[in-house]
Amino acid sequence: MEAIYQYAWLIPVLPLVGALVVGCGLVSFPEATNRLRQLNAVLIISLLGVSTALSFALLASQVQGHLPYRQMLEWATAGDFHLQMGFEVDPLAALMLVVVTTVALLVMIYTDGYMAEDPGYVRFYAYLSLFSSSMLGLVLSPNMVQVYVFWELVGMCSYLLIGFWYDRPAAAEACQKAFVVNRVGDFGLLLGILGLYWSTGSFEFDLTGARLADLVHAGDLSGLIAAGLAVLVFLGPVAKSAQFPLHVWLPDAMEGPTPISALIHAATMVAAGVFLIARMFPLFSSIPLAMEVIAWTGAFTAFLGATIAITQNDIKKGLAYSTMSQLGYMVMAMGAGAYSAGLFHLVTHAYFKAMLFLGSGAVIHGMEAVVGHNPASQDMRLMGGLRRYMPKTAFTFLIGVLAISGIPPLAGFWSKDEILGATYGASPWLWLVGWGTAGITAFYMFRMYFTTFEGKFRGDDTRLQAQVNQELGIHSHGDHHGHSHGHPHEAPWTMTLPLLILAVPSTLLGLVGTPFANYFEELIHTPGLESAAAEFEWSEFLTMAGSSVGIVLLGITLAVSMYLSRRLDPAAIAAKVPFLYRLSLRKWYFDELYDSLFVRNSRRLARQVLNLDARVVDGLVNLTGLVTLLTGQGLKYLENGRAQFYALIVFGMVLGFVVLSAVT
Amino acid sequence: MNLAAFPWLTFIILFPIFASLLIPILPDREGKTVRWYALVIGLVDFAAIVYAFYTQYDVHNSGMQLVESYDWVPSLGLKWSVGVDGLAMPLVILTGFVTTLAILAAWPVTFKPRLFYFLMLAMYGGQIAVFAVQDMLVFFLAWELELIPVYLLLAIWGGKKRLYAATKFILYTAGGSLFILVAALAMAFYGDKVTFDMQELAAKSYPIAFQLLIYAGFLIAYGVKLPIIPLHTWLPDAHGEATAPVHMLLAGILLKMGGYALVRMNLEMLPAAHVYFGPILVVLGVVNIIYAALTSFAQRNLKRKIAYSSISHMGFVLIGLGSFTDLGLSGAVLQMVSHGLIGASLFFLVGATYDRTHTLILEEMGGLGQRMKKIFAMWTTCSLASLALPGMSGFVAELMVFVGFATSPAYSNTFKAVVVLLAAVGVILTPIYLLSNLRQLFYGPENQDLVTHQNLVDAEPREVFIIACLLVPIIGVGLYPNLLTQIYDAKTMQVTTLLQASVARGTPAAPLGLVYTAPPLAAAETLAKPA
Repeated sequence: MEAIYQYAWLIPVLPLVGALVVGCGLVSFPEATNRLRQLNAVLIISLLGVSTALSFALLASQVQGHLPYRQMLEWATAGDFHLQMGFEVDPLAALMLVVVTTVALLVMIYTDGYMAEDPGYVRFYAYLSLFSSSMLGLVLSPNMVQVYVFWELVGMCSYLLIGFWYDRPAAAEACQKAFVVNRVGDFGLLLGILGLYWSTGSFEFDLTGARLADLVHAGDLSGLIAAGLAVLVFLGPVAKSAQFPLHVWLPDAMEGPTPISALIHAATMVAAGVFLIARMFPLFSSIPLAMEVIAWTGAFTAFLGATIAITQNDIKKGLAYSTMSQLGYMVMAMGAGAYSAGLFHLVTHAYFKAMLFLGSGAVIHGMEAVVGHNPASQDMRLMGGLRRYMPKTAFTFLIGVLAISGIPPLAGFWSKDEILGATYGASPWLWLVGWGTAGITAFYMFRMYFTTFEGKFRGDDTRLQAQVNQELGIHSHGDHHGHSHGHPHEAPWTMTLPLLILAVPSTLLGLVGTPFANYFEELIHTPGLESAAAEFEWSEFLTMAGSSVGIVLLGITLAVSMYLSRRLDPAAIAAKVPFLYRLSLRKWYFDELYDSLFVRNSRRLARQVLNLDARVVDGLVNLTGLVTLLTGQGLKYLENGRAQFYALIVFGMVLGFVVLSAVT
Repeated sequence: MNLAAFPWLTFIILFPIFASLLIPILPDREGKTVRWYALVIGLVDFAAIVYAFYTQYDVHNSGMQLVESYDWVPSLGLKWSVGVDGLAMPLVILTGFVTTLAILAAWPVTFKPRLFYFLMLAMYGGQIAVFAVQDMLVFFLAWELELIPVYLLLAIWGGKKRLYAATKFILYTAGGSLFILVAALAMAFYGDKVTFDMQELAAKSYPIAFQLLIYAGFLIAYGVKLPIIPLHTWLPDAHGEATAPVHMLLAGILLKMGGYALVRMNLEMLPAAHVYFGPILVVLGVVNIIYAALTSFAQRNLKRKIAYSSISHMGFVLIGLGSFTDLGLSGAVLQMVSHGLIGASLFFLVGATYDRTHTLILEEMGGLGQRMKKIFAMWTTCSLASLALPGMSGFVAELMVFVGFATSPAYSNTFKAVVVLLAAVGVILTPIYLLSNLRQLFYGPENQDLVTHQNLVDAEPREVFIIACLLVPIIGVGLYPNLLTQIYDAKTMQVTTLLQASVARGTPAAPLGLVYTAPPLAAAETLAKPA
């Protein structure tokens, strides 16, 4: 078994090779490479396929109890400072490898159908492969610096992919916003890493945690500073996993093509934040204040995302807020100390959310036949009744909706229930937020399902179309791709196959982490602790499960009566609470707030500094000393074309000086 | 022939200069022979640099190597002595590399090509001389000599305000170099032995007050070059008017002379004064980073925007120099080399873009990505390199400076925390201006006005080749920094040991004690003389 460990580095390197080969081809021979189209895709998919196989082998070996394996290389040295890079395979890494490679592989297959008509087809595959490589590298990172390296690289891939359709202004702004907001988080992460190195002299995950705890215990370091460092590190996950207050980039990131929304902005990259918290768990868990901050950030984000998702009309934006909310659950679990529950939810969520996003992509793909290739194809107001046109998509989407809502025995039920159970032990208030949010989740997910797949098809209603187009700023009779006024259609098999495959783990995966037989926790348990198999009690489980299923059913009932049977009119309810409705629709006004607080002020400050530079600093320095005379009066003279003359004077003076010194 | 005895450095310096003298007599049609001639000379010299260092240079030795010394003006003790150590060697390689690429970048120059390539080759030798000479006076001569080609290159081939920019450049740098001359003379005549030899100057022991004065003089001279705010205002003007090849040299090499000389003279020769100036350098570095990043963000002219970004990046060099640690100093040297490559590539791309759009105002561009896909890709890559994306050299340099400064034993924790916090703000500001720049250039719908009036062709193979050449070391060092750091590690360790020794001689004193543990003036004066 050792052999597969020695070759584990191939897992991130193979996709990198694929990306490099295709990328070089694109730069050197763009026409030829683009003409080869699917050949590129086949190359990249097969390379990732090898990585996937390797990942499964590693996971199997880890499940059988193989010891963690680590291989390091001296990376940078300066004096007595040595920094090593390498890779480490432990159960968590092996698990993440499998999640990332499987989702990435399915997304790549799906992409062939989704991007078939796009002129950037090959470039998209190159980016996807580059992303997979970075993400796999992140998962294998053995220390904080390497995590930071790949952390930024996945951010770069996200930037490139959000801005994939670079002729769209919205995409251009979204990708920049994503990168800059993530840099704010990275700023914290960097400072945190530096601070931890300063205090503990190590970049290792477990060493820093242990030493920091020792330092605080011995009184060498104030507990407040330790907590501050932990919170700085936490800023990284806050940005990457779209937690409040740095969540604003994720919904905008939906400007990217749908496959990457599924892969990067739902299943893998955004979950990296949770992964990092898990890696740094020894550090966080020794600082109660930091755990408190993490838990409440997660809880608030879960609630915030869910409340915004209720009113979104864009199917992808709705899913994006749902992702944010689900990530909030995971972060909350981590903060409450429920290590394996949080990671379990990460895994199940990765599969069902990837499926939901890919499903929404199939819907958009189908809708484009009706409304054209523009943002209107994502608007749920124009959908409805799509189940008749695309039954496979509808079926898998329903499974996803049931899974995320937490209906037993689907995957989401087990993981979410484990989180809720664990938070109840930590703080009933946290549990209350999570519990309430579960109800809202069920409501908005079923709202999404009903408005998209049930009822009457509204896409051919020209009046509604005109209204939506006007709202989205689309010129309906412009020279866009035009309105084909066809019927929505089911997606090709390359798109439906990944959906059907993803439906399997979305349905069954939960069964490996049931409270009465938790295989998941046996594999992934809190570092430093042996699998703490808590006493399982049916009565406790039934109360917890019963209460969460109860509120979920309440949410579903409400959604049925509002969006399926139409006994309640959503517009009337919205009109009754206009403030709350607008708050949700306008996303709690975060964009407006940040725009006026940060964006405008930083622009103004920059302009002021530039003015200062041009008027004051330049002027002052020009005016100082001898230079004054020469610029003031000399410039006129010099601009007469005799400037070269001056240069010669300087040089002549120097030469003369040397000669003079030599003679005397 | 005994290769070890061959005067490699003298050859490397003089070969391009003598070769440039032949340009006027070359038979030439339309300037096409001259550019090939210049390119071949550049390549030969670069090959000589690589060969000489590969065969003769020992990376474990921290002292001067490939040393040559000849009497020049014996009555003055003036010697032509050259040599390289871990500090100079990477910069000499960088110079050969970037200058050769700049010659290739100058391919489209059609106006007075003979004079242009003559100056480029003269620059080639002059720049290397600055890094290699070991005699203070010859250093000063080389420093001045290299200004004249730059001045002419700016004044003849520059943009609309070229004369103003060129004059400002020469006044600033020549004004600054007066301080070098005065300080060098003062050091040479101090004590009982008159010498211009750098090693002998470094071995002399000066009283602390004298050291402080000399240090300040050097700091002004090199601060203009680096540049350090507020002595930077010549740079946006000069960069704003220069053509792409000159630009590459200005950003790639000339700025590094300031950093090089700061280490060579201020740190190595005046370590006791550096104890007092260290925190000042650090503070100036932080100001550079933030101030220049903000001005770059507000700047609407593409060239000036990138010029300000250079200033911002040089701030990390200053922090590294002031850190009193191996890691920080190593990071500073790495940042110089790294910015030399990244700055050169960005400025080359600015030139390539201008060749097509004929405007530098961001508002007059937009949507270029649709027709110039390769240029878009190269811009993106180089911008990411410039914003210190991991996997590229800039990240390693900044990380080393950060870690080095954060672990510096010389400073108080509060000072370190504040500096690191503020410098890290640059980590947020840099992507803001670089990415918004990319967005305004390439993203969004095409600018119809531009598309109808200009011929926006994509990059030609020559341009792709230049950027590819620059990216190879950028990514190579980013992936495996030991490639570069091991070259000069012995040297930076030696300098740091020297600096830490001078810090250790003192006890905390107010008000500097608030910042770190610096010796009081009187105590340092007695201690500055080695026992």
